[in-house]
Amino acid sequence: MLKNNYIKKLLAAIALDDDQAAYKELFLLLYGKLKQFAYTILKSGDEAEELVSDLFIGIWQKKDQLSNIETPLLYFYTTAKNLAINRLKKQKRRVILSAEDWLVESNSIYFDPEQLMITEEMVRQIKKAVNDLPPRCRLIFKLIKEDGLKHKETAELLHLSVKTVEAQMAIALRRIAICLHFDMKKTPQPHFSFKK
Amino acid sequence: MDQEKFWVLLSKKLSAEASPEELKELEHFILEHPDWQYAIQNMEDLWKHRQPKDEMQSEDAYMLHLHRMNEKNILFGDASTAMPVITFKKRIKKWYWSAAAVLILVAGSFFTYYKLNTTKSNQAQPGVQLNEISTRSGSKSQVILADGSVVWLNVGSKISYNKDFGIAKREITLTGEAFFDITKNPEKPFIIHTSVIDIKVLGTQFNVKSYPSDKTTETSLIRGSVEVFVKNREGKIILKPNEKLVVYNEPEISRNKNLQQNETREKIPLFAIKQLNYQNNDTIAVETLWTQNKLSFKNELFADVAKKMERWYNVNFQFDNKSKENLLMYGTFTTESLREALEALVFSFGFKYRIENNKVIIY
Repeated sequence: MLKNNYIKKLLAAIALDDDQAAYKELFLLLYGKLKQFAYTILKSGDEAEELVSDLFIGIWQKKDQLSNIETPLLYFYTTAKNLAINRLKKQKRRVILSAEDWLVESNSIYFDPEQLMITEEMVRQIKKAVNDLPPRCRLIFKLIKEDGLKHKETAELLHLSVKTVEAQMAIALRRIAICLHFDMKKTPQPHFSFKK
Repeated sequence: MDQEKFWVLLSKKLSAEASPEELKELEHFILEHPDWQYAIQNMEDLWKHRQPKDEMQSEDAYMLHLHRMNEKNILFGDASTAMPVITFKKRIKKWYWSAAAVLILVAGSFFTYYKLNTTKSNQAQPGVQLNEISTRSGSKSQVILADGSVVWLNVGSKISYNKDFGIAKREITLTGEAFFDITKNPEKPFIIHTSVIDIKVLGTQFNVKSYPSDKTTETSLIRGSVEVFVKNREGKIILKPNEKLVVYNEPEISRNKNLQQNETREKIPLFAIKQLNYQNNDTIAVETLWTQNKLSFKNELFADVAKKMERWYNVNFQFDNKSKENLLMYGTFTTESLREALEALVFSFGFKYRIENNKVIIY
């Protein structure tokens, strides 16, 4: 929500003002995430990096049209996806996989257990739960949690129905929550405090 | 409520997409299932932790990106503006050299003039040449005068003095803002002229802000003592350390010509003595923070903050919504870009803005 508005402001500054500082800010803001997303399709770090650079060259070249983009975050991800698929098409010897097989790197979903009031064991279990999510589910979870896309935007990006995205999110959240859930009856004496 | 719906609602809440009704529904569910509360609370905490951005990696990637653009002959302004670090270095170098040149000039004129004066009488000559040092909006400068006094010149400011500065007397004229560290010399008081006041000092540290576009001229004393003479007023004002003298630039009559009642006229003082402002735990007064490369303000009207930002960022502000001029603001910026600074202010004080060319429009 906030992110989309902020990106819109940067894009407007680039479109109207040729604002190079805004251009740089936008690049720094999106680079890491877009590269990770491109990597899930291309499976090559170097190519993912080049793709993001190509994407931003495009942004500069057609900067006059930038102020009309309603959902800029989705625009960036859709463009990254299309560029990636075009790349794969050009390199004919590589197989173009469906979104089912876009595998999110396991460490790219972020947890900082030290800031949470949970046990070591829970942290281990959460990580395992996330890594064990089916690929599509993990991708959806990452796009919504880490990258800040909306449910509807994620559905559009991956050509799925909103219902499917919601169902996948429900699966991911439930599996993680189970790791965090503890049964009072089974746990004798918790040696950490509850958060109210 | 079935299980899946519950998790979908939670998901929507976490991504800030849930409607008020949906939030209520979710709350209701949690109340019915207290054993999930802990998990949900932690889930919410967990959600807020985004992967920290790898700034270094992104900066490197940006440099490579510019390099690629260049290779592909895509026009992206001038290379130096794309890499601010280099511009900054260049700028330092530039003023370093100009300051050095001024020093040599000052030292040189001191020498020649001194030689002339050993034989001639010591009169101030009409038409003596002026030295002038000025900073543009967006850049600052430090000047060491012939007597060893140091002047930090804030953005968009100017000092000028006769070429015989330091010989018979030490006098300079200031427009804008400067921080002075004056070398002690009881025999030759240091005098600073501004449009509305003259300041006489022996040796001390103080700040003078006298921009023509501001409503007031401010003299802030850090240590020592200064005497201030307000133009067209008899007597002098002596400032003690940590005091600030605020003098209104416009003459009283023109300032009040729209006011009809005499009482109101008396309510607005021609000048006031105030205490310097200090931020929590800071030993440097807000008034002089700019010498530390900080843009700082505390309980100031947005209209005044805008003036500071105009000089700091080299832009112009325009208030389409006049009521926003009266927002009281506090804050400190160091390396923030204009947009970052504006976003932070929007977040804390609530207003809307857009940037057109070099103009920030508040609405």
